[in-house]
Amino acid sequence: MSDVTPAIKKRKLNTSESIYLVEVLKGMAITMGHVIKNIIGELKGQSTFDTMEYPEVRKPVNDRFKGAHRLTTRPDGKYKCVACMCCSTACPAKCISIVAGEDADDPIEKFPVRFDIDMLRCIYCGFCVEACPKDAIRMDTRIYEINAFSRQDMIHTRDYMRDLMAGDKPEAEQWYRENPQHSPEGFLGEVPPVIP
Amino acid sequence: MSETMLTVILALVKCVFSLAFVMQIVPLLIWAERKGAAYIQDRPGPNRAHILGVRAGGLIHTLPDVFKLITKEDVVPSHVFRPLWALAPIISMSVALVTFSVVPWGDQILIPAEIAEKYLGTTGPLAVNLQVADIDGGLLYVLAMTSLGVYGIMLAGWSSNNKFSLIGGLRSAAQMVSYELAMGMGVVAMFMTYGTTRLDTIMQIQSESILNWGVLLSPPVGLVAFILFWVSAFAECNRNPFDLPEGEAELVAGYHTEYSSLRFALFFMAEYANMVVASSVTATLFFGGYNIPFVNGAMLREHIDLVLIAIGVGGGVFFLFAASIAFGRRKDPFYAAMEAFKGPRPNKLAPVGGLNGLLYRALHDDTLRQHEWKIFTAIWAGAAAAHFGLIGLGAMNIASGMPLLTEIIVFVTQLNAFVVKVLFGCWMFIWVRWTLPRFRYDQLMDLGWKYMLPIGLVNILLAAVWLLIDANTMRLYAAIP
Amino acid sequence: MPLVKVNGIAVEVPPGTNMIEAAKKVGVEIPHYCYHPHLSVAGNCRMCLVDVEAGGRGPDIACNMAATEGLAIRTDTPKVTQMRKSVMEFLLVNHPLDCPICDQSGECRLQDYYMEYGQHDSRLADAKMGKGKRQDIGDQIVLDAERCVQCSRCVRFSDEVTGTGELRLFNRSNQTQIGIFPGVRLSHQYQGNLADICPVGALTLKDFRFKKRVWWLKESESVCGGCATGCNILVHHQENEVYRFTPRRNDEVNKSWICDQGRLSYKDVTSLKRLTGAKVDGQRAELPEAANAAALLLKGAKVGVVFGAKATTEANWAAVKLVRARLPNARAYVIEGNDPDAFTYQDEILVDSDKTPNRFGAALTASQLGSVGDAEALKAALASGEVDALLVLHDDVVGRLGVATPKALVYVGTFKNATSSAAAVVLPAAHYIEQPGTWINRQGRVQRLRKTVAPAGDSVADYAAVDAIGRAFGGAVIPEMPAAIFQELAAGVKALNGLTLKGLGHGGQLITLFAPSPGVDQPGQAAPAK
Repeated sequence: MSDVTPAIKKRKLNTSESIYLVEVLKGMAITMGHVIKNIIGELKGQSTFDTMEYPEVRKPVNDRFKGAHRLTTRPDGKYKCVACMCCSTACPAKCISIVAGEDADDPIEKFPVRFDIDMLRCIYCGFCVEACPKDAIRMDTRIYEINAFSRQDMIHTRDYMRDLMAGDKPEAEQWYRENPQHSPEGFLGEVPPVIP
Repeated sequence: MSETMLTVILALVKCVFSLAFVMQIVPLLIWAERKGAAYIQDRPGPNRAHILGVRAGGLIHTLPDVFKLITKEDVVPSHVFRPLWALAPIISMSVALVTFSVVPWGDQILIPAEIAEKYLGTTGPLAVNLQVADIDGGLLYVLAMTSLGVYGIMLAGWSSNNKFSLIGGLRSAAQMVSYELAMGMGVVAMFMTYGTTRLDTIMQIQSESILNWGVLLSPPVGLVAFILFWVSAFAECNRNPFDLPEGEAELVAGYHTEYSSLRFALFFMAEYANMVVASSVTATLFFGGYNIPFVNGAMLREHIDLVLIAIGVGGGVFFLFAASIAFGRRKDPFYAAMEAFKGPRPNKLAPVGGLNGLLYRALHDDTLRQHEWKIFTAIWAGAAAAHFGLIGLGAMNIASGMPLLTEIIVFVTQLNAFVVKVLFGCWMFIWVRWTLPRFRYDQLMDLGWKYMLPIGLVNILLAAVWLLIDANTMRLYAAIP
Repeated sequence: MPLVKVNGIAVEVPPGTNMIEAAKKVGVEIPHYCYHPHLSVAGNCRMCLVDVEAGGRGPDIACNMAATEGLAIRTDTPKVTQMRKSVMEFLLVNHPLDCPICDQSGECRLQDYYMEYGQHDSRLADAKMGKGKRQDIGDQIVLDAERCVQCSRCVRFSDEVTGTGELRLFNRSNQTQIGIFPGVRLSHQYQGNLADICPVGALTLKDFRFKKRVWWLKESESVCGGCATGCNILVHHQENEVYRFTPRRNDEVNKSWICDQGRLSYKDVTSLKRLTGAKVDGQRAELPEAANAAALLLKGAKVGVVFGAKATTEANWAAVKLVRARLPNARAYVIEGNDPDAFTYQDEILVDSDKTPNRFGAALTASQLGSVGDAEALKAALASGEVDALLVLHDDVVGRLGVATPKALVYVGTFKNATSSAAAVVLPAAHYIEQPGTWINRQGRVQRLRKTVAPAGDSVADYAAVDAIGRAFGGAVIPEMPAAIFQELAAGVKALNGLTLKGLGHGGQLITLFAPSPGVDQPGQAAPAK
């Protein structure tokens, strides 16, 4: 057995192929077929394209798609997050910075005074969601247009992440009502029981 | 008005016309390139830029592109050899434009004696050749000029003082030299067959009959010459599959790597201008130029009213069809097919206020796009009406009574025939580009030297044989007055 | 000495050593909650149950097992593992799942042992017993009774170390909970140690509450500079920011304790009272510039050098070298007593009345210049004009003497005080946790400081500040590297002969000081902590 990779055998071209021109014309016939098909489709108003007209039309993403982070809340509106820093510890990009504070009125003593995620650093690995013992951070928003005009605006803050999917976005709400299979828990008001 | 003045003025008018002719087709080609590529690849292509909702199938995109190229910073790298670097794109562009000057774009216009004497001060009728320069070595001039085009690319490559650019320039030079030979061989066979290098004479020969069109002459000499010429034209224009000088996979952007802004735009336009010129010359040499098959200038003049009626009926029906399609779609929601997939959240960066917001909402509003169909309906219906009007004009026998009007109608008709041929040639360039992969460099050289050059030589031999056979009947030569 | 066997490995230990310590000697870790080396043995957590092979009977708790000849225990049998698992299950019966909000998590024995021996599938069917959460029981301490595992370490600490006895385990059986006597509040100076010795998160420090997760923190060894005791500490810091001090075990000095003042003195590192930039006549200046100004002031003047009891021995040595090399007629002074703004608290446990960490180091080095003057001598010299320029290391001379100081006053110090505002030239010295060096505590123990975080602002190690003046005179007076300085110091000072910086180790080296002089206690006499 020779360990030399055998040379790739080229198929011998037949006469018409070796002149090129016939094959070239065949190829051009194929491409012209596409052009005609697409022009007819355009005129009929029936899209024959494989592409989508972003941003008006969006590709529906998988349920497991990791989009922008959001912070969940308890029924009383307080953050589920207790600032345990498990997410920032797990974060391989070190993009989460949390400042903990004490809530004097709450039996759950600790809450995040600040909870910032630098989306420029984030690598969307989802470790923060895995690490969270309180189901306080999720990436189920399916928002993938994370953009801003300044670096500062790319830092998602605590309240921004809480309100990301909140009900004051009627379009979003409407969409979720029509597509309940995509609805993140709690968005339509059905809140899962609090983990004590 | 003296004779000289008249000549100068006519020459100027023709110069402006020929420049405008090439430059008007260029933006159209840029659009066709994009839209054609898109359709070949099953995508919609440009369809966003609009003026008050009218996007004209993406044609409007060329406007912002031009605006962008004009307003971009003109970066001059510090390492370039400035004088030649600045000269190179100008050479490229001007050579492309100058070549067009020998191409005839229409039959002679015969201005009747009474008008010519009254307004132009001539004695007797004035015959105007629709060609900027009617020179004896017309075809040789074309060859000379196209080979000058290599200077633009070579100088750009060398003066950019950059390895990639230099390699691009070298490739271009080698490629052009190689394919110029094949092209020359093809043309020599045509010289021999036509017996002249004057392009207007060649045109007159072809006007006689469709059998006199270059591609059908002395079979297979004409056809082989056409194939040689056409393939070489691809190489001369640096178009795929012969666009190795700017092979972006290995050379960044080849010879125009260091160019930006309008200097880049010049190279870009030169490429398309070259395509126009190559198509024009091919049409002139092989496809009867401005001639309509089976109908020559004399016949047009004779049956001018019938011509008007034919145009009126053909155009009218076509535009009526277009209008009916547009009318049928006037209420279509733009994204009807994909409505269900609309996402939950509009783009965060979408402007909400001010003029930008207004435009954004206008563009993303289905009603505006429905509006576009209404505008199209109006335009196409108007065009149809105008064409139906032509029928009436023809039926009333108005044109046949007015010699100048006849001349003008004949000129426009023939020019249209020429434009159709040129545009088809240009579409071939685009079509081939999005169909074929690029040659490897050794394959390119093999094809040029080992196949096309010998074929060209054999072709010349064949042409000579045809000349000998036909020497006594003199069918071709008899046609020359 | 009795020979005992742990997991078959023989080891000789002093008689009476308990088996947890004996096992530690051969590298076997026996898990425990209630046992603490500096507290009495209670034996109520049962976590240290081991199998007795010979010299005893049945499974027994290692903490209460004194080493006797022939005693052999095993900790690696399945039985032991099963016992630990069972004990853990009991301990966790009422323990709330508070880890995300608990400050102890990361250094919690429950977490550690749970991961190793825990019953990972809970068999608990009933609700957990609710006990008082978040009880404010003292100035420094928050109590969460739910998290307590009833190890009684804190009870024993308050009984045995502070003697205040405020804490008790109340009720019986599974109702048992830790609590403080009604109407009583922790008020002693050692509350922070309760949080340290609590193996779980029941007692946590108010000051550190929710500040930082402990797994982020890096620990560096240092010595507390609050008083002459020189308690060994660990500096917990992250990214150049200090978050807390905790005691470092040194049985000869502070055992495992530290007072609250010392514990909270980490705040001084970032205090607004820090001198962070050099000053010349009150104007901000670069360090070499200020050193030049200082050299100009001292050159040719009748200089008095006030050796600093808060400065490192190295800095004082640098002053000695500076005087020898550049200021031949300078007089040496060591001023007794504390700065006016120092804490006044003192007790018999740890806190010394002398609030300077390096009194002996200053005296020892100053004496290398011959006679050493005291406060009175300095006053007299200033009044008579025998001294018209002063170089002061750390001490608040102005505040302490209350006399007009000469115009030419060069101050090398860490904090702002009356002297720094009166000084013509101020050279900022690093905080003691920001610089290497040595201190000699009240026992005569040479202890090592380490650079744990970067110095604040423009400040440099205090010996480097003194050396900067030497450089302004025309040449460095001491080597650059701390080890080299200490080598020179050990060679130059008789009492330190033979010591090396590395040889000081983690616990320091006791030295014999010079003969006793009036006003100074015989060093080496002060007893270690109770």
